[in-house]
Amino acid sequence: MFLRILKKDLKRRKTINIIMVLFVILASMFVSSGLNNVITVANGTDYYLDQAGVGDYVVLTRDSERNCLDDILDSTDAISSYAIENIVMVDSRSLYDENDEILENSNSILVQSYEDSKLNFFDINNQTPEALTQGHCYITGSFIRDNNLSSGDCITLKAGNTEIELIVDGFVKDAFLGSDFMGNTRVLINSEDLRTLEDDEFNLNMFGQVCYIFSDDVDAVNAAFSSVDNLMFSAPRSMIKMAYVMDMIVAFVVLILSVCLMIVSFVVLKFVINLTITEEYHEIGVMKAIGISNFKIRSLYIIKYLIIAIVGSIVGLLLSFPFGELLIKSVTEKMVLGNSFGCALNIVGSLVVILSIVAFAYASTSKIKKATPVDAIRSGQTGERYSRKSALKLRKFKANIPSFMAINDILSNPKRYMSVVVAFAFCTMFVLILVNTVSTMKSDSFIDTFASRSDLYVTLTQEEDKEATYGYSTREQWEQFFDRKEQELEDLGMPSEIYVDFQYQCPVTVGEEEYMISCQQGFGTTMDDYAFYEGVAPSSPDEIAITPQIAEKLGVEIGDTVTINYGLETRNVTVSAYFQTMNQLGELIRIHEDAKTDISRWSSKMAFQVNFLDNPSKEEIIRRADELEGDVFFDCMTSEEYQIECLGVVPTMEAVQYLLLAITLLVVIFVTVLMERSFISDETKEIAILKAIGFKNSRIISWQVIRFGIVAFIAAVIAAALSVPMTHLCITPIFGMMGASNVDYVIDPLKILLIYPAIIVAMTVIVSFFTSLVTYEIKSSNTANIE
Amino acid sequence: MAIIEVKNLCKTYVVNKRQNNVLKNVSFKIDKGEMVAIMGPSGCGKSTLLYSVSGMDRATSGEVVFEGKDITKLNETELTELRLDKMGFIFQQMYMMKNLSILDNIVLPAIESKKDTTTKKEKIARAEELMRKLGIIEVADNDINEVSGGQLQRACICRSMMNNPEILFADEPTGALNRQSSTEVVEEMRKLNKEGTTIMMVTHDAKVAAKCSRVLYIIDGRIEGEYITPSDLQDDKSRERSLNNWLMELGY
Repeated sequence: MFLRILKKDLKRRKTINIIMVLFVILASMFVSSGLNNVITVANGTDYYLDQAGVGDYVVLTRDSERNCLDDILDSTDAISSYAIENIVMVDSRSLYDENDEILENSNSILVQSYEDSKLNFFDINNQTPEALTQGHCYITGSFIRDNNLSSGDCITLKAGNTEIELIVDGFVKDAFLGSDFMGNTRVLINSEDLRTLEDDEFNLNMFGQVCYIFSDDVDAVNAAFSSVDNLMFSAPRSMIKMAYVMDMIVAFVVLILSVCLMIVSFVVLKFVINLTITEEYHEIGVMKAIGISNFKIRSLYIIKYLIIAIVGSIVGLLLSFPFGELLIKSVTEKMVLGNSFGCALNIVGSLVVILSIVAFAYASTSKIKKATPVDAIRSGQTGERYSRKSALKLRKFKANIPSFMAINDILSNPKRYMSVVVAFAFCTMFVLILVNTVSTMKSDSFIDTFASRSDLYVTLTQEEDKEATYGYSTREQWEQFFDRKEQELEDLGMPSEIYVDFQYQCPVTVGEEEYMISCQQGFGTTMDDYAFYEGVAPSSPDEIAITPQIAEKLGVEIGDTVTINYGLETRNVTVSAYFQTMNQLGELIRIHEDAKTDISRWSSKMAFQVNFLDNPSKEEIIRRADELEGDVFFDCMTSEEYQIECLGVVPTMEAVQYLLLAITLLVVIFVTVLMERSFISDETKEIAILKAIGFKNSRIISWQVIRFGIVAFIAAVIAAALSVPMTHLCITPIFGMMGASNVDYVIDPLKILLIYPAIIVAMTVIVSFFTSLVTYEIKSSNTANIE
Repeated sequence: MAIIEVKNLCKTYVVNKRQNNVLKNVSFKIDKGEMVAIMGPSGCGKSTLLYSVSGMDRATSGEVVFEGKDITKLNETELTELRLDKMGFIFQQMYMMKNLSILDNIVLPAIESKKDTTTKKEKIARAEELMRKLGIIEVADNDINEVSGGQLQRACICRSMMNNPEILFADEPTGALNRQSSTEVVEEMRKLNKEGTTIMMVTHDAKVAAKCSRVLYIIDGRIEGEYITPSDLQDDKSRERSLNNWLMELGY
């Protein structure tokens, strides 16, 4: 008998049961994929760096002898093991396409043998790429994407007097340099091709090494390398991990989205279970009246929901695999993400959904115990709810009846609509947070954290860059070069000054501890050109400014003294100010322009900056940039463009923003369809009576659509209001990890208050309209057989 | 003069591929100002007849001529307008909008009607007047779960009368009420009839049917008998006795 009732119920209440199954599928899909993604993202970078074999400390040198590391590697006890790769570090514009055009690339290119590489590289499917034959190459980073290359394309590597034609065999993932923040491209070639390159004596000064060191005492390794000349870059694993912070923003967005979808799933699920059990109250009353025990009645419903949960969860589990991959796709393009649990996490997610449904059903059926049979029968029969109040009075309402009924429904029973508002507001808010983040990243808000403000940020033509990079070893040579360029601009009617920031690897001593730290010095600028948020700008080479990260690393604060080897002299200097920078992820010291550095030993330089002296308008600056690009400079960027170039991840963030919008719209579609169907199912007799007394279908559809429109509008308003404080709360710590804790967000009111909320409200209204067409099937004659 | 003329009305339901002829060539007329009861055993097709005649359900064949127009030929929108402006409905279950007060439920059809050109204030005044007449004005602002079944059914009568319908259709209007409420509701309907409203009512209750001027008795989808209340019987008891005798003859 018990089973027959159950079977009959599953058949008879087909619509609402199907709606329940669909909700469970959604919940299971979201929770299973979300759980897997949360664990994957949480362990993301460590998993990737371990798989690649990056080690605990990485050093990059430029050294024609390739022997500057030998002594230290062998003599430092803290180093347990290491692996070395020989590289040739060629100019950023050394790769040409089939038409002999320079291929776009912003930083130096590391060329090395794939066979002799010690780092594990991965192809797009996270497999080890096949061995390379002569004349073939793999390329890392965003180079292939930026230049629209594909496998099989032919490129030419030109370095010194050597030209090597290479067929691109594809993109590979590079754990050390592959992040947008590191931004160096590696070209992996056959060892024979590398030998050809190395045999060219003009390439001798481009030789270098990458060393991956394994150690339990990273501080000791760092101190050991403070005396090494020719160091281009040295960093512990933690810093390489940090370089993925921008990629991890995307991953964390996925993480937050997954958590969001889980919350939405549970909120909606609980609501639907409550609703369906209330709908069944009449039958519950009848069963109670004929003497079936509370336990058996509850068991009946719990088993019914268990069956629905199991069916829905299995389908949801299967769908969670492609859905999870879709969510995390934008991150896995650059990284190898995974976890050791595999599909077990998805299964756990589905089990959690099943258990939650049973728990919700158990909680929702607790009313069965309290209600008398008469209460239950009466409540089921009239559709009454306990303590319902009509919130509005028609006589005081000005608008039409559908609007009145829609608003009155929401106000009379706000709890019922809360779950929809929460679901929509949650998803919309995260879209808006991302919109704010992308708007900020596309503005020049962070430019102070990379360089001083100027009109243009430029790169030199290939010949000039080669001449300057490898030819100039004194300040006089650089000054003459700047004078020459300034004169060139003056002749074009653009009076201007040119300057640049150099970085040096300087040994810094605090007490007994020695560190190798990047120091940035302006050439052609004064300290007044830079922003310091606390203290006073260094007034002489005896003073320095530091970032909070350096303050923490060295354990110093404003007023403390450290010893710094500038290159040409060693001084005891006082910390006079704090500043924030995203260069070197905030691990940087700003030194006075008069500090005696060895300009021949800069480790990297920022873009050259051009400041026009005749105060041109923004439009004129853009016009001049167009005029100068190509002939005078290779590339001219405005401050916004330069910031995007430095941050690197902006296009990915934009893509994720649209992905998030698409997922939000998907949630809106699902939640609207399923909730509205639930509401219509609950309101069948009201709709029937309205039709019986003469309401047209169009008026009933308007009622349904306006109701969902209002709910979406409320959600959009809440989301817009919360988006700004939530952006500060969620995103500032991430920018803080990159070195910028004080962020002035750029809020685009048009996007936040109009475009995005309007898209979501419009989608809700459209979906609600199509869903409400189902009311055509409810006839006025249904009043005769509703029970 | 006939307000409704039903000619050869048939209604067939198909359940599990099996045809079920609920109404079989039913024909009758209702004159303006009449109060007609439809009686018969359960499942004989009384409610189906009411819904087919009122245009809430489509007949399989036959004609229903209302004020000279065959409403079986009307489309859904025209039928909806007809129900709104010219017909009133009372059901056994007192269906009302859950989230509206009693007064708002009553005034709803008047505000929806395009034919009614009076102001909202006037419509509300009319609703209050109807409620006063039916003795439920004190529950005007109550929610639907705050009133008794009798009060709710009287509210449904008020709603059905808001657009001054030509005819009132009632499907077991006292079926869910106790004796006291039932008597009150039927009394109100009789008063409305005396004021000129035509009523067609489905009922099981001979006591209720005895208040009508005519009774149609249906068995198996056919009209098996027609009882016209003798005009000389004035008191309720003798009318009821006379009807019961007639029903007993038919085997009811």
